[in-house]
Amino acid sequence: MIADVTRSIPGPWRTALYLASADPAVLARAAFITLRNAFLGFSLAVAAAAILTFISRLSPLAARYVLALNTIVQSVSVLVWAIVAIMIFGVLSPVPPVLVSAAAVFPPTLSNFLEALRAVDRRLMDLARILGAGRLDEFRHIIVPASVPYLAAATRSGLGLALRISVVAEAFGGSGGVGFMIVRSYNLMEPAGVLAWASLLVVIMVLMDGLFLTRLVGVAERWRLP
Amino acid sequence: MEIAVEAAGVSKSYSGKEVLYGVSMTVGRGEAVGVVGPNGCGKTTLLRILAGLEKPDSGEVRVLGRVGMVFQEDLLLPWKSLADNIGLGLTFRRAPSEEVRRIVHALAEDLGISQYLGLYPHQVSGGTARKAALARALATDPDVLLLDEPYAGLDADSRASLNLSLSSLARGGTTMLLVSHQLDELLWLVDRMYVLTPPPARVRAEVRLRGMDWDERKRAILEVI
Repeated sequence: MIADVTRSIPGPWRTALYLASADPAVLARAAFITLRNAFLGFSLAVAAAAILTFISRLSPLAARYVLALNTIVQSVSVLVWAIVAIMIFGVLSPVPPVLVSAAAVFPPTLSNFLEALRAVDRRLMDLARILGAGRLDEFRHIIVPASVPYLAAATRSGLGLALRISVVAEAFGGSGGVGFMIVRSYNLMEPAGVLAWASLLVVIMVLMDGLFLTRLVGVAERWRLP
Repeated sequence: MEIAVEAAGVSKSYSGKEVLYGVSMTVGRGEAVGVVGPNGCGKTTLLRILAGLEKPDSGEVRVLGRVGMVFQEDLLLPWKSLADNIGLGLTFRRAPSEEVRRIVHALAEDLGISQYLGLYPHQVSGGTARKAALARALATDPDVLLLDEPYAGLDADSRASLNLSLSSLARGGTTMLLVSHQLDELLWLVDRMYVLTPPPARVRAEVRLRGMDWDERKRAILEVI
């Protein structure tokens, strides 16, 4: 039966019909859950990366430990994160997709933050020094804002990644979301459903990029020092 | 006159290339002193050493009190308004916000840029931005003001306007050390001038200009350049 499902790829027309006939409330709920998981996971990753970036500035030893931690997190497969999170929180918990997204987004986000830190204009650090800034002031008034153009670009790719990973994690659990609906359609042998839900994900990503992320990058560019 | 800034035999090299070689100079308290020299002769390096941003390879530097610095590029933070940029040093020193506001407005008033305080750096002219950078350096009430090429990149009107502001500071007794290759503006402003040689820079001449009129100043400097 599974072989039949995988071999019968429906055309765009059947996929569109499936989407059109689906209950809008179900579509909206699944999209909301996936977006929520992706945003929470991304936010968690950004918060952790920001804290570790700050710690890495404290001493060269701290910077080495932060880099080592990043390498370790980066080396663990998303599959492992998903299974471990489900083992800890249970299959119906909404936490695993968030944690798995965070774990997947964290390494590139931290790398981007560290790179942004290196890219902060040395002249700005001289200015901070002359004006008597402490470490926290440097971070708050100089480093973080100066990194915004780099971070906005990183957000664009990071949120996209969080969304894709969140869908994978949802597929393993039973807490809903687009990933859950894709697997559900597959199990019910509804290939048009699989493609319809996948298309919905593409639409969400395109809308998010066009309406929000591209503008964010544009605004952030104004913060680049001439 | 009490010495506010003193460099004694300062040398500095980068990757084996000597930039400064045994430079010695002084700035008295309340004095405006200029440093001129050809491009790339180490004027900025000298200023950075005096500001404590770099260490000399040899020689000694002594600066009495707190240093304020106007960098060659304005280095106004694009994410802060002019008012917040000017008050940045006070914010770092945890000054009460009411005091920051008062000082920022007073300085902006003196420099004629109060109408721009709410704007962001990309919204103002180069002359206004340079004055904002000057106000930021003055806001923390430094004992010594270091200015790196303050006239660079400004049009004639902005240069004249900035020079009036700097003259007013000089008359008010602000200790200033200016490096520039805009000889005319400096000549009009300073009490003394050091002329540096091409790199590795040394002091070629020290010209005393205090009490001289414009023609005498010009003659005095032309004799050594």
